[in-house]
Amino acid sequence: MSEVNVPAQPPVLDISDLRVAYGARTVVDGVSFQIRRGEIFGLLGPNGAGKTSTLSAIEGLVAPKSGRLLVDGIDVQEEPLDAKARLGVQLQSSSFQAELTIQQIARLYGGLYGVKLSRAQIGTSMRSIGLEEELGKRFKQLSGGQQQRLALFIATIHNPLLLLLDEPTAGLDPQSRRGLWRRIEELRGEGNSILLTTHSMEEAQAVCDRVAIIDHGALLTIGKPSELIDKHRDDPRVLSVAHGAPTLEDVFIGLTGSEIRD
Amino acid sequence: MTNTCVATVRPPRGLAMGSLLRADSIVMLNSKTSLVLSALLPVVILVVTSFGKAQSRLGGSNLLISLALTLGLLTSCLLGFTLALAHDREIGVLQRLRVTPAPNWMIMTSRLVVQIATNLLASIVVVIVGSIVHGLTLNIGQYLLVITVAILGAAMFLAIGQALVGLVQSTNAVSAIGRLLMIFLLLLGLLGGSGILGDAMQTIADWSPVGALLALFSDVLNLSAWSGQDTYSLLACVGYVVVFAFIGIRWFRWNSR
Repeated sequence: MSEVNVPAQPPVLDISDLRVAYGARTVVDGVSFQIRRGEIFGLLGPNGAGKTSTLSAIEGLVAPKSGRLLVDGIDVQEEPLDAKARLGVQLQSSSFQAELTIQQIARLYGGLYGVKLSRAQIGTSMRSIGLEEELGKRFKQLSGGQQQRLALFIATIHNPLLLLLDEPTAGLDPQSRRGLWRRIEELRGEGNSILLTTHSMEEAQAVCDRVAIIDHGALLTIGKPSELIDKHRDDPRVLSVAHGAPTLEDVFIGLTGSEIRD
Repeated sequence: MTNTCVATVRPPRGLAMGSLLRADSIVMLNSKTSLVLSALLPVVILVVTSFGKAQSRLGGSNLLISLALTLGLLTSCLLGFTLALAHDREIGVLQRLRVTPAPNWMIMTSRLVVQIATNLLASIVVVIVGSIVHGLTLNIGQYLLVITVAILGAAMFLAIGQALVGLVQSTNAVSAIGRLLMIFLLLLGLLGGSGILGDAMQTIADWSPVGALLALFSDVLNLSAWSGQDTYSLLACVGYVVVFAFIGIRWFRWNSR
């Protein structure tokens, strides 16, 4: 049987030597990593570590000082709109126009991503996320969990290749958090890749295939959660903070330090 | 979520622009402040000044209608549009829109188009009400000229507002400076233009945004022959549009941090 040459698919996200600076202050300093298709990747780091700035560079919200950012092989800086068409984004504090109802918001963002939605389709989609009763309400009238579900719906309205979630479970109750984890797993099952930032080690271990720990703008370590624990279990910094067998949180605190960040 | 294939294609621009225009129009219709500033305030001024001898004491019907039109444009652009833009920037609405494949110019153009269309409709209402309550008869040509000048005036005040939001980041500061600027421009145009502050101030006032627009509206409503002052006023308005639009675009910051 003759061999069929299947071209290798590029990584969904390829970041190399990324540097982001605000004025003289460098906030991302030489970060490199890749995300494969169907992978859930967690970016962990204390406050001010450079997580959101890294995401902002991928989203095209800030221009990197140097480095290369490829989304599905497309250069984010050279072809930002083509790259954005492949991205779904949930910002840390998503906000929609206060005067629009949920239905109008869904129609607006559907149009911006090239998805025409009828009233019936919006109704069906909202039923699937438990918001069918809220169609006529405005964003501010929703609870925190409902707002988060709507923001995730909007981020995935065009079934993006790569979904960027910036601290998606911040401020959610345990039920909503578990619901979001289930949804993230479903999205991976549908072929999406996901990059999420989080402070929760429990979340990173529960949903991420691989994680990277970042601090002061630099990538400290990268790998599967279990691999990171194995890799750093004998590190004196990790041992000094561990109570018993080291956990991912011990690795995180050991590598990034115990001081409180604002 | 709603389609089965993973998105890899940039969406059609027509669909994106249509969606933005529809959403911005809904926002405008639901925003009572903007509608009040655009039409209701000028109409109230016209109705109130139509009683007794107020009309002639205040400079005649043409000047009053011109003033009402200018005030409507000034307040809705400098307060309504500017504050809404600064507020949306502060709460992250603009950033949310910017992470979509819609280009930045499209996001801003949609807002400007809806604002100018609102100003246009409001100006037509103001002229119709003004001509009825002040007993003025206008022909079609004058209406068309009023619409043209209204577009120019809206563009000028929107450009000034855009520059203000571009240079000032805080919404509270934009609000405060916008109000002060509005009062300053009105006083300069009206008091300076009346000549009671001296010749130098009158010349400055004639070239000011409010003074130049008042002159154009007034001459259009008078149906007087095109004068040198009209040319200067037109040049001044176009100049303000170019200069402030450049500042507003060049230094506009999409987020408030």
